[in-house]
Amino acid sequence: MDRLIALVALRWKLELRAMRWAPERLVGLLIALPMLLLMSAFAAAAVFFGVRSLAASDPEVLLPLASLGATVVGLFWLLSPLLTGVALSETHDVTRLLHFPVPARTLVASSLLANLIQPAVLAKMPVVLGVAVGASASAAAWPAAFAGVALSFAFILAADQVATLVLHGLFRNRRARDIGLFVGLALGFVLSLLPLLFFAAGLPRLGALRRLLVERDVFVLSPFAWGVRAAIHAGRGESVAFAAYAAAATAALALTMGVAAVLVRRIHRGEVDLGGPSAGVEAPPARMVLPGAIGALLEKDLRVAWRDPALKATALMGMAGPLLFLFFVFQARGPQGFGRGLLLVAAFVGASSFGGNALGLERRGIALLLSLPVERWRVLAAKNAGALILRLPGLLVLAAGALVASPAFLPAALTAALCAAMLAAGVDNYFSILFPVSVPEPGKSLASGGRRGFGAAVLGAFLFTGALALASPFVFLAWVPVLLGRPALWLVSLPLALAGAAAVYAMLVAGAAGLLERREPEVLERMLASAGDA
Amino acid sequence: MGDAPAPAPPAPAIEVSGLRKVFRGRPAVDGISFSVSRGRFFGFLGPNGAGKSTTIKMLTGLLRPTAGQVRIEGLDLEADLLAIKRLIGILPEELPLYERLTGEEYLQFTGRMYGLGREETRGRTDELLEFLSLTEDRRKLIVDYSQGMRKKTALAAALIHNPRVLFLDEPLNGIDPVSGRVVTDLLRRLAGKGVTLFFTSHVLDVVERLCEEVAIIDRGRIVAQGTLDQIRTQREVGRDATLEDVFLKLVAADVRREDLSWIA
Repeated sequence: MDRLIALVALRWKLELRAMRWAPERLVGLLIALPMLLLMSAFAAAAVFFGVRSLAASDPEVLLPLASLGATVVGLFWLLSPLLTGVALSETHDVTRLLHFPVPARTLVASSLLANLIQPAVLAKMPVVLGVAVGASASAAAWPAAFAGVALSFAFILAADQVATLVLHGLFRNRRARDIGLFVGLALGFVLSLLPLLFFAAGLPRLGALRRLLVERDVFVLSPFAWGVRAAIHAGRGESVAFAAYAAAATAALALTMGVAAVLVRRIHRGEVDLGGPSAGVEAPPARMVLPGAIGALLEKDLRVAWRDPALKATALMGMAGPLLFLFFVFQARGPQGFGRGLLLVAAFVGASSFGGNALGLERRGIALLLSLPVERWRVLAAKNAGALILRLPGLLVLAAGALVASPAFLPAALTAALCAAMLAAGVDNYFSILFPVSVPEPGKSLASGGRRGFGAAVLGAFLFTGALALASPFVFLAWVPVLLGRPALWLVSLPLALAGAAAVYAMLVAGAAGLLERREPEVLERMLASAGDA
Repeated sequence: MGDAPAPAPPAPAIEVSGLRKVFRGRPAVDGISFSVSRGRFFGFLGPNGAGKSTTIKMLTGLLRPTAGQVRIEGLDLEADLLAIKRLIGILPEELPLYERLTGEEYLQFTGRMYGLGREETRGRTDELLEFLSLTEDRRKLIVDYSQGMRKKTALAAALIHNPRVLFLDEPLNGIDPVSGRVVTDLLRRLAGKGVTLFFTSHVLDVVERLCEEVAIIDRGRIVAQGTLDQIRTQREVGRDATLEDVFLKLVAADVRREDLSWIA
């Protein structure tokens, strides 16, 4: 017990220290806390009223639907590191503690207990309470109902631990890790589009889903659901069913922790080698084809991005934003007004280059990059060009949307997007240099790359507005022929817009290069410090 | 018959005066001054946290000094940073390599960054890979390299543009004795060809064998500088004292040597 307490205390101490040494994290948490509490309270109220009204109006649906909900939440929690690249709760790296004479089950239990104080976990407690109270017909049933939902939640955390351990084991092989990250992130992207397809298909599908749920009740087999089912039975006063499901949930929890303990012992002692050693597949002979320093830098960035699963997946996910924008514009305006809306979407797609943090993508490589004797404007121009090329999937979606719905607007839309993208990237260079921060390593949490702080967020908003203001005359030039109803004018206005934006972009990059030269050591120091956090 | 005027001594390759770096109010490097003549093999020694890496970072323009002046090959570091970067090669202790490039791609990229032509870059890449026994693994991603292979790749990248001054921060850390011998042989050959080498290492017998001159830094200050003989004389240690003896005498005077009471 002493060791369990010491391990849990260690984890809490480390979490608190992390905040002490990075005050911006604490500030970030304090700023996010009211929002988190508000969202949590809202979710708790929604769940409470949903469960309560369903229990009154359609009681036969409650059990299957709650089971489905618990299973979906559980699976998403488990797969979140793969699907989004961000873990909802970070499982403690117990491998560092394996050399101590402590049983693996104590390590696993300590990790699970310590997980309970993470903000993301604490924020779910009101929701747990909401389900329990919503499912209870009387106040007397609250404790049992709460225990049931808490069992489901604890099982989710324990299963998350097992999933993390399996991923640790699997990802010891670099190629397996790369493939897992890419497939996971791509799958997450596809899943994120499901609501869009659902709304596009219409709500009548809900009826079919309800029938399927009630008649088959397939999620009765899901261990994520057993605790919640126990809670609902407790709320109805069905003590035998409550006891049965609570026992099943407890057994599932114990079994999962046992599996985690075995995995900890075996994976990290090499008894179970999920990934095997990295084969180190050979690449084709090196051929740097693009000319000059800008070409070499650009080629380096593109090769690295192509081989970095997270960057590749991020480039792919760049399609989601334009797709959503186009969908809503099409829904709102119909085929007739689509063209005008398209120009606006194009400008926003381009402006999203702001925040790309091209320098931050270098991570620790920034020390190498800045040790090279290359003019800094070339470095920035190459980094911006690389970032723009990585945004091509988004531009392709835009182009496809234009081709399908309003082909005449295609050149104007692409010009607007390019102008906005160039200028946003140029302005972002200043932001990257003034507030340098490293982009997290592939598969690491977004918080691990360091943060820029509140002042940076304010200046960032100001600079983004500035980027939009800078881009607006050139986007307007692309729009003028539409306003005047004279498409032929595009022959003049589009080249003019591109040339003007290119000139302003060149000035922006020249200024940013001067700033980088003056602040180079500071940029390096802060970038490396934030890369060290990662 | 008048005496011919003595030739002017060659200008130092590295000149440092009053160099100081303060982190959060604490000096990591505290006003150090020294110079290294052209073509010298210069060892820069000190215990962990003494300020060696901080000094190298400042000498190579990767960290801004709080105070002081640095001149490399006669150029002022603040005013001519880009020109200095063309003249120097750096092997940092932590190796910030682009892990998703192959060793061959990385060297070709580095050559291009130093302004070498395509053919020249390709030729030098082949030679370096061959010399450092990396030819077989040239097409593997650096992320799959061992620590020794990474070190050799980083060294190759530091050499590809034929630098006049080479900064090496712990070049022998983490590499096996075979690779270590390859690296030390290469460094000797470079020194023989007039390249100035600024070298930090914890392996004192290697420093003693390779370096013509050393400076020892402790708690941010230089506590001794010169050839080993000069330091022996200055510090009044015996003529047969090794560099390790001298080093320990200078920086480890207050090491606790009492036994731990519970160990039998």
